[in-house]
Amino acid sequence: MTAELPPGLAIQKVDERIMTLNVGPQHPGSGHMRIIVQIDGDYIVACDPDPGYVHRGEEKMAEYRNYITNIPHLERPVIHDSCNVLYPYVLGVEELLGIEVPERAKYVRVICSELNRCIYTMYWLAIYGIFLGHSTMFMWPAGDRELLIDLMEKISGARVTHAHFVPGGVRNDLPPNFEEVCLRQVNYFEKRIKEYAAVFYDNPILISRTRDTGVLSREDAIRLGTTGSVLRASGVDYDLRQKEPYDVYEELDVHSNVMKEGDSYARSKVPWLDMMESCNIIRQALQKMPKSGSVRVKLKPNPKGKGLDSVYKRVESGRGSLGCHIVSDGKVEPYRLKLSVGSFRNLIALPYLLKGEKLGNMPSVYWSLNYWPVEADR
Amino acid sequence: MTNTATGIVRALNSGIKHIATKRFTLRYPEEKLKFVGDGYQFDPSTGVGIAGLKGRHMLFHDHCTGCQLCSIACEGVAEAIAMVKVPEEQKQNKKSIMPQIDYGKCVFCGLCVDACPFYALYMTNDYELSSFSKEGLIYTPAQLAVKPYVEQDSEIVITKNGATHG
Repeated sequence: MTAELPPGLAIQKVDERIMTLNVGPQHPGSGHMRIIVQIDGDYIVACDPDPGYVHRGEEKMAEYRNYITNIPHLERPVIHDSCNVLYPYVLGVEELLGIEVPERAKYVRVICSELNRCIYTMYWLAIYGIFLGHSTMFMWPAGDRELLIDLMEKISGARVTHAHFVPGGVRNDLPPNFEEVCLRQVNYFEKRIKEYAAVFYDNPILISRTRDTGVLSREDAIRLGTTGSVLRASGVDYDLRQKEPYDVYEELDVHSNVMKEGDSYARSKVPWLDMMESCNIIRQALQKMPKSGSVRVKLKPNPKGKGLDSVYKRVESGRGSLGCHIVSDGKVEPYRLKLSVGSFRNLIALPYLLKGEKLGNMPSVYWSLNYWPVEADR
Repeated sequence: MTNTATGIVRALNSGIKHIATKRFTLRYPEEKLKFVGDGYQFDPSTGVGIAGLKGRHMLFHDHCTGCQLCSIACEGVAEAIAMVKVPEEQKQNKKSIMPQIDYGKCVFCGLCVDACPFYALYMTNDYELSSFSKEGLIYTPAQLAVKPYVEQDSEIVITKNGATHG
């Protein structure tokens, strides 16, 4: 019977003591993926993550659509973080077409991308809370996200999948007296997330469950190629907003949050600290933004690349470095488009982290990798 | 041990304090959110949009020329727009064709609005489009010409006692 099954689906019998367990894909503790774990009693011996259940062929789809109609479907991998997913694509197309973006548009983009980072991280934090059985930490972030979703709805007209970034700027300018509303809601949001410290991050129960579980050393984090909060939680100070500033990030004071421990606790705390940094960046951007001016360069209909050309751009998304490689052959569609996403890079650390852990610690280690299954499958 | 005890007490205390704060829940459909503007619009002369909610479309029959640019813009996105014959005769619309939009397919990206050079297609604040049948989601040019009435009564208010929808 097992011989007829395709590879990967057959369950191997290794030992009398060792049991193979499928976590997912229809399991609340795995997301849209399967984690095949081999356990000896309560301890994990080996683990094999099996993504690919929500593969949608975004990269192939992009080859059949022109540079503008690619926008709505390319933001689908992470609908909560849709501005950041679109960011490298838009930067790449601008370089291919040779477009100079107005100064105000760059600031609007930074504000949108920071708001989106917080929206994504709040959703991630809510799931992290419920994975650990902390239902307050599910309700609070899920509710407080609304403050920022409301701001994004005011800017772009959609609560998720904003389709707001286009090659040449952004779709529309900020609504009238947006600065005031934004400042008020972002300040309140920051006050709210600081309250999470007492109930979640300084909570001895959380600390005892996550401290020293799934420790990823600094050397391993670099060797495995992890990015974003996972890398920064292992003591590597690497934030693309600081190291390779794009758009107007070099004019803003960006501080990256680094923790040395490299355990689940550090990996869950770094995104929370990043949200406060995002609030700082939004306040700075609102202050430094030119008060008037155009936000979009008028493009010809169906813009074309100039001959054979390729460009690679990357940005810091909510899940780490997010790169987009576009190859153009002078037609209205890209010849090839490749997304290099942070989720997939961080997933590679999972088998190393789970070895020797208790099965009960699996959800906290797995979700602390800041992994989004849909983005990894693309 | 004392650290653990005080930590747990502090966590409980932080939760208990929230009994006094206001509830941050929008009680839809009794309350409905307020939006900025009259829906997403686009100005072809400057090439920049005007902020607003991307809801159901609004078609101006006296501006539409039947050029099909909105339909072409939708081709790679959702293929929700079909050009259909309309009985009325407009001076600028020789072929008498206008867009018909299937909201079962539409993703509300608004690229069709960006494509229209004649100020004929805008988006409105109407987001309550549910229907009992698939056919009910297909809006004919006549239905799209009606300006919707959208109730908007509540927005986020931040007080000392927390944020609330008021």
